[in-house]
Amino acid sequence: MKKTIGCLEQKPGVECIVHSLGSDKKVAQRLAQMGVFPGVTLQIVRIASFGATVEVSIDGSQNFAIRKGELTALNCQVVAMPLTSSDVQLHITYRIRTVSGGRRFQQRMEAQGIHRGLLVKINNRTSPRIELHLIDQKKIVKLGPGEAEKIIIEITDV
Amino acid sequence: MSEQAEKIVVALSSIPNTGKTTLFNRLTGSSQNTGNWPGVSVEKKVGCFSLGEYKISLVDLPGAYALSPVTEEEEVVRSYFLKTPPAVILNIVDAGNLYRSLGLTLQMSTSGLPMIVAVNMIDEKRKVDIPLLSTHLGVPVISISARSGQGLPELKNALYEVIKKPERSHIPHISCPPILEEAAKELSRKIIPGGPLEKMDSNFLAMRLLEANTLSDTIHKTGLGNFIKQWRGRIEKATGETIPITCAKCRFNAARGLVLEATGQKADLPNDQNKRIDRILLHRRFGLPLFLLIMFLLFQAVYGLGTPLQTYIGQGFDAAESWLKVQPSIAEQPNWLQSFLFDGLWQGLAVVTSFFPIIALFFIFMSLIEASGYMARAAFLMDNLMHRIGLDGKAFINLLLGYGCNVPAIMGTRILSGHHSRVITILLIPFSLCTARLQIFVFLTAILFSAAVAPLVLFALYLGSFLVIILTGLLLKVLHIAGKPEPFIMEIPPYRMPTLNNMILRTRQELKDFLYRAAPLIIAGVIAVWFLTHFPADVPAAGAHTWAGQLGQLLSPLFQPLGIHWQETVALIFGLIAKEIVVGALAVVYGGGDLSNQVVQHISPLQGLSFMVFTLFYTPCVATIAAIKAESGSWKITLFSLVLGLVTAWFASLLLYQTGLVLGFR
Repeated sequence: MKKTIGCLEQKPGVECIVHSLGSDKKVAQRLAQMGVFPGVTLQIVRIASFGATVEVSIDGSQNFAIRKGELTALNCQVVAMPLTSSDVQLHITYRIRTVSGGRRFQQRMEAQGIHRGLLVKINNRTSPRIELHLIDQKKIVKLGPGEAEKIIIEITDV
Repeated sequence: MSEQAEKIVVALSSIPNTGKTTLFNRLTGSSQNTGNWPGVSVEKKVGCFSLGEYKISLVDLPGAYALSPVTEEEEVVRSYFLKTPPAVILNIVDAGNLYRSLGLTLQMSTSGLPMIVAVNMIDEKRKVDIPLLSTHLGVPVISISARSGQGLPELKNALYEVIKKPERSHIPHISCPPILEEAAKELSRKIIPGGPLEKMDSNFLAMRLLEANTLSDTIHKTGLGNFIKQWRGRIEKATGETIPITCAKCRFNAARGLVLEATGQKADLPNDQNKRIDRILLHRRFGLPLFLLIMFLLFQAVYGLGTPLQTYIGQGFDAAESWLKVQPSIAEQPNWLQSFLFDGLWQGLAVVTSFFPIIALFFIFMSLIEASGYMARAAFLMDNLMHRIGLDGKAFINLLLGYGCNVPAIMGTRILSGHHSRVITILLIPFSLCTARLQIFVFLTAILFSAAVAPLVLFALYLGSFLVIILTGLLLKVLHIAGKPEPFIMEIPPYRMPTLNNMILRTRQELKDFLYRAAPLIIAGVIAVWFLTHFPADVPAAGAHTWAGQLGQLLSPLFQPLGIHWQETVALIFGLIAKEIVVGALAVVYGGGDLSNQVVQHISPLQGLSFMVFTLFYTPCVATIAAIKAESGSWKITLFSLVLGLVTAWFASLLLYQTGLVLGFR
């Protein structure tokens, strides 16, 4: 079920765990010298215009820029992605990992019952709005694409 | 007593972005000297200060993550330590980025050299247990603020004590996989460090030998090559990765534990303020337009302010020249001497001085962009476009500013990371249409073309300049002229407020550097052109019979196919001094009178266009050549740049002129 970052859509919010530093010796050594080793979590923060350069954060603190090709070469398994990712599959259970964005946005989501740790499913993605099924609450919330991209879900193995 | 008279070398080392430059400036003030590290284009800075009875020579090492070489900077630091180890290491770490900083600190502390660690409290949010760090590292640790100067007296005291009593309490042990430790132990017994390496821990030296081949002969004279190779093979087989990575893993394991103990926090803290600024400056849609706006303002600020200043300086020199010329003591001198003094030496001085305002402004704004942390963001935004011509994003700023003046743009390449980027950017900048060339083009297009066509011709020349930069970039990328690019993994530093002190010192240093490194070559170049255009002595200056005139006629078979007459060739030779004087030179060569009429009479629009294309691409001026030599530190690259410019100019003009003729233009 888990896939490496090279096979998946790379967009802001995608998180992955580094499993190995890849086969490019120079890249691997550079990363090692910066303190990046198998086991750390990388999160894509943003993607530069024209799309080939990515800003990632390591374990939520230090940020660095890396090219997509080099990021793909890392053996890095995706553990979380935004709701808008095309890799999110329908009718499969995910868990909300983070609700990013400002405090006001988080409060608005909270008011609709969306918060961290919740089990969710997506039932329908054809319209621009995403229908999010909150499993335990037995409730369906419709989210706009701007809202959905700030909600990061993680893959559960249930 | 002799010990006290000689300077004590202290090496200032850190990973990038820890406030190293600020500390360096704080300690040494204005007594700094810059140069290049031998054989590479990495800047070397040395400053002096006194501490009690000691004279300290502080060497500013380039920012490096480790002593295992990946980048040119790391290679410099490694060879510095293995060839000329300092008396004391002064290592600065960033309290907010402790984990990453400590990787280098731990590696350096195992060297056995006397060492001091300064913890730079950039933001005060984090509490660091200083005594605990000191106990673990076995060296004094001082908390400072490089920006405010807090803790600096304590740092100096600690440094004084270490110089006085250089014994280390202990060398920290970093546990490695057993096979690596065994190899290091075996190897350390075989090497007998002599000379400058005597004070270094032999285990540390053994590790350096195991991780890379470079400089191994400075550590051991006897052939240990095979022994090391065998061990390396065994270790890599056992651990499944290269030795530098294994070493880094051990170091950072230790660092992680140390950070947890010293701060009570697991990892380094996220910076919320940065996130807010980045949300605007790196915005998905507005980030790039904002960057272009900032660049536009920067360009305006440097050249909008600098060019008028240049004009004033030029006028000042002219006024002084006319005053000097009528002074009896000078007017009595023979003609050739007067000519040498005014058209050679004085002219050379004027050219050198004219660069001062733009170099100063350029570096004031550059250091603002660099120190604030925006440079890395700009590199991120532009990376994809620049990557296609084999450069990283930072080079864009240099290339753009080259359209104002090539000289500061080339001097600014030292801000770039990596030998590859620096050399390629240095080679590309001379093809940008600088404002001095623009003056020639504006003058000629106004005479040769109608008011409707002239702006289009100018626009086409700009396009031609972009095109040649892109094509040459692609060509150089394919040719691997500057070696392989380093992997692009760039730390995005937190935003910081630049300090005025740093900006002033930096700008002063650059001016001094320009004066010492580039100015002599510029003056020599100007005098050489004067010589060519004024001798033999008994013929009119710049005429057909001077050496320049003869050279122009000699070269005419080469320039005939381009539609360039020998008179214009002489003007091009003058153009080596500075492009600003080409128009004036044309007037002299065509024998005076109204230059517009002369041009219309002698040059057809197509020939004029060909002349402009040649002017656009051939060597900009002696100042640019001098800057290339000073920055690259290599005559080979300087010569290559010269040839590249001439060949490109020749072919571009040929293509244009011959195509024009075929299409029926004149």
